[in-house]
Amino acid sequence: MLKVGIIGLGQMGSMHLANCLHMNNVKVVAVADPSERALKRSTVFGRYKIYADYKQLLDNSHDLDAVIISVPNHLHFEVVKLSLESGLNVFTEKPLAINTQQCENIVKSVRDSGRKLMIGHNLRFVDAIEKMKASLDRGHIGSLETATIEEIVNGPFSHPVNPVPVAEWWLDPQKSGGGALMDIGYHMIDLFRFFTGEDAKVVFSNLSYKYNLPVEEGAIVVLSTSKSSIKGIINVGWYQRSVFPRYNFRVILHGNYGYLSTEKFFPRNIYLHAVKEGLKNFLRRISGKKLRPLSYTYYYEAYYKELKTFFNCLENDLEPPVSAVDGLKAIQIIEESYKLSNAKKSD
Amino acid sequence: MLKKVIKMRNEVSLVKADWDGKNIKEYVFSALNLIGFKPQGSVNSVAIKPNLCYYWNAATGYTTDPIVVSGIIDYLRENFGSDVNIKIVEADASAMQTKYAFPILGYTKLAKEKKVELLDLSEDAIEEREVEVNGRKIPFRVPGTLLKSDLFINVPKMKIMRATHITCALKNVFGCIALPRKVIYHPFLEEAIVGINKILKPHLNLVDGLVALGRFPIRLGLIMAGEDPFSIDWVAAQIMGYNPSKIKFLKLAVKERLGNPEDIVILGEELETFRKDFPKENIIVSKVKMSLQFSLLKAYKTIVGDVIPPTLENA
Repeated sequence: MLKVGIIGLGQMGSMHLANCLHMNNVKVVAVADPSERALKRSTVFGRYKIYADYKQLLDNSHDLDAVIISVPNHLHFEVVKLSLESGLNVFTEKPLAINTQQCENIVKSVRDSGRKLMIGHNLRFVDAIEKMKASLDRGHIGSLETATIEEIVNGPFSHPVNPVPVAEWWLDPQKSGGGALMDIGYHMIDLFRFFTGEDAKVVFSNLSYKYNLPVEEGAIVVLSTSKSSIKGIINVGWYQRSVFPRYNFRVILHGNYGYLSTEKFFPRNIYLHAVKEGLKNFLRRISGKKLRPLSYTYYYEAYYKELKTFFNCLENDLEPPVSAVDGLKAIQIIEESYKLSNAKKSD
Repeated sequence: MLKKVIKMRNEVSLVKADWDGKNIKEYVFSALNLIGFKPQGSVNSVAIKPNLCYYWNAATGYTTDPIVVSGIIDYLRENFGSDVNIKIVEADASAMQTKYAFPILGYTKLAKEKKVELLDLSEDAIEEREVEVNGRKIPFRVPGTLLKSDLFINVPKMKIMRATHITCALKNVFGCIALPRKVIYHPFLEEAIVGINKILKPHLNLVDGLVALGRFPIRLGLIMAGEDPFSIDWVAAQIMGYNPSKIKFLKLAVKERLGNPEDIVILGEELETFRKDFPKENIIVSKVKMSLQFSLLKAYKTIVGDVIPPTLENA
């Protein structure tokens, strides 16, 4: 049984906590968050040691195998570093850190500590993405020439269904590291690297500041891989009214024999899919089998799968599929994109 | 502050404008001239309240287009002089902070261009008031600026809303409440809307219907003006395809003597000009659909023990 601590109980941390409860090989023994409300809310899931300061959790971590870190971007570096120095394996939300220097430092820490670190690149674990990758790797579309990867959503601006003010750190580049490009572009860049299996450089970058905020609300970046010159068009934005359960995210891979699109792999009718998956989980429940948490949403299940993969790596001494180096590479591309951007902030 | 002249009839003007705000000044002037808007006394300070409920801009039909406010500013400058003190005001809401909404929605730029002030009503000097509506006493935190300005101009957006069917002039006044977490009023929203309108009475209401919101946004090209917010809402409800006498907060407003539908006179374009194009939403079906989704999700969570996505945790 793996003993786990959770640092940060915001939306993501709470979901990781709930997902852990569905894993037979994992026991959450401690949680930490400065918010009393968040700590109190977490107690509905079970009993564990509760800390307002994550450092106290780390000071008392002798019985822990790993920590899950879901804190604001600017705290990633410090919390990840101290967790590794405390001898813990780490699962951290993306980005690994907010700049290349911090990321390189973490890469070194992982190597020196001998511990495992995995970053929450959840989109790699979405069913449709896994199927597309398998199809691509079997050569179904010939050789990959270009990829279009896009996600346009509401960003940190809350959904009216659950109205809360935007957390200040999101719009402060010193704390977030950037806007839509850092937030969701990070994932799209990682997917491009995931599909191509190659490193990439930025050939074009244009950021949008129409929202007149200190961070960009949109970005278009064109990438090219170093070996095969595969081109990738990354299009991300925080400017669209998102309505759950719809999710404006798609990947199209163009090969010289055919193409693959997430549209083909996502459920045609998301409501029917939810009912079908819900019923399956109901049957699993009454027959005593394990659930597939969040499978009814068709993309949130990826959060469960990534965490399960991390714990599997710990149990079987495997290298996590998303390493600190993957986090570093994504941040390098983002930094390059910011430098190259020819956008001017509008008045 | 100007005294409101009690009129025997409440004129509502309907003007067909370019949806993209071209020549907006002309349309705003025309809408105001039709109702014969002429404030009595001197005007030195003006508060203009657009609807900035979210960060989605006017093209989505959610928020007031700054170009409409710019037309009003032009009107004020031409009629009351260039030194009249104008403030564009909005209060923080549960999901919206004015410090972000003003720049995102183009109001910071407008304020700079037109040399007017922006004011977050949540940070204004507050007066605590209480009113009784339908036998319920409701406390409000009322921004002093709105009570003290010589002119209070309400500039709502015309749109549908699940909770109240429509949202226009009276609901935009509800948005003036200084308390950011206005969701606390939602269990008795109709009473709260009527209550705040008993305290805050705009001298003028000018509706941005350039892009309105029904089942989807529609480029309606409508500018509507009137001195009485109740009359505006009564007409707006009809344009949006609803029977206003069936809308709870309007029924309550009649009961509480906030307005009288019999006094309403429509001037300018025919109401049908706009109604025929408006994409009416069947609110009952929409509400049932939404509530069914959440009820099923909650029941599923309870029975199966599955995880709920973070965005829906507090839904």
